[in-house]
Amino acid sequence: MSEDKKQDDPIMQWVTFRLGDEKYGINVMQVQEVLRITEIAPVPGAPAYVLGIINLRGNVVTVIDTRNRFGLMFKETDDASRVVIIETEDHIIGILVDSVAEVVELRGSEIETAPNVGNDETSKYIQGVTSRENELLILVDLNNFLSDEEKQEMDMF
Amino acid sequence: MQAKKVIPQVVQQEIALDSYLSTLLDDIPSNTELDQQELKVEVKPQVATQVKTSTPIVEKIITKPDNQDLDVTKPVRPLAVMPEWARSEFQALFFKVDKFILATPLTELLRTIEVDKKPTRIPGQPSWFMGLLDTHEQRIGVLDTGQLIFGKTIGQQRDLEKQPFQRILITGDGKWGLACDEILSIGKLEPDKVRWRTLRQKKPWLIGTVIDELTAVIDVNHLVPHRKAN
Repeated sequence: MSEDKKQDDPIMQWVTFRLGDEKYGINVMQVQEVLRITEIAPVPGAPAYVLGIINLRGNVVTVIDTRNRFGLMFKETDDASRVVIIETEDHIIGILVDSVAEVVELRGSEIETAPNVGNDETSKYIQGVTSRENELLILVDLNNFLSDEEKQEMDMF
Repeated sequence: MQAKKVIPQVVQQEIALDSYLSTLLDDIPSNTELDQQELKVEVKPQVATQVKTSTPIVEKIITKPDNQDLDVTKPVRPLAVMPEWARSEFQALFFKVDKFILATPLTELLRTIEVDKKPTRIPGQPSWFMGLLDTHEQRIGVLDTGQLIFGKTIGQQRDLEKQPFQRILITGDGKWGLACDEILSIGKLEPDKVRWRTLRQKKPWLIGTVIDELTAVIDVNHLVPHRKAN
């Protein structure tokens, strides 16, 4: 591939994690750290997708139940469970995942738009899909992971 | 003396006549009643004319025959709604979803594949969208045919973990896969052996019924969703 083409088609790194049978990817630039499960304090009156809050070196961080967010069945946490601390445009949140897999490199041209046949609001955080090792990887746009209203709610915890 | 006797009779007769005539004349003052009767008679025609001039009713009555005229043209419609492939004998694929046997023309399909792995479910999509599946040549969106056809209430009762679909029909454009339980056969269908639905506002994918087997004929192009641009 020529130098011009490489610039037009930059490589991005994605942290991949698992939820149930599916593998998801998030932009590595937005991942601050990956934590083992610590005590998550429930927040009274919080929406169902909010598991609770954790104290991260003196900062209160809201942890999202990603399974609930993606419409998957509840699963008890285990040794493989992780809280991925991510930085969106204006918030720092934690997302609970079944396990963190690896960091992969993808070219923009390898990412295909996922079909959207449902509610625009719920699916706008799916950036695209790509095929990798005989498996589909679903890429999540963390900036659209929460709606504006939900981001405002985060500030209340 | 006799004449004197006659006079009172005449007088009495005149009085009687006067009385009679005056009685008749007295009846005449009830002229007011007659006037009223006349008025009533006059009013009645007015009411009648009002009814006649109540144009909306008249218009409605007039518009009806027009509608009937339109109805007369209806028998032509079944041919108009028949898809191109149904104008002459066509080959149809018979397949099974739950306990129902359905048919769809072969021309609307690319191929069928066996389900050898689960489709990748995309978050935020309707329950009838089972997910994406990479086949040998392309990526298809797999649809839960049961939910699309029988509705969410009945379709969602199926536990896909315990009772997964076995086959997928891939649409002609290669974008969608319709999950089903079993491919039964391929058969030829004559258009006159199918009762074609004339009104397809609801369930536009259900285009007819094979009369002998009472099998629903499905137009898969109307069953699959149209992808929204992201």
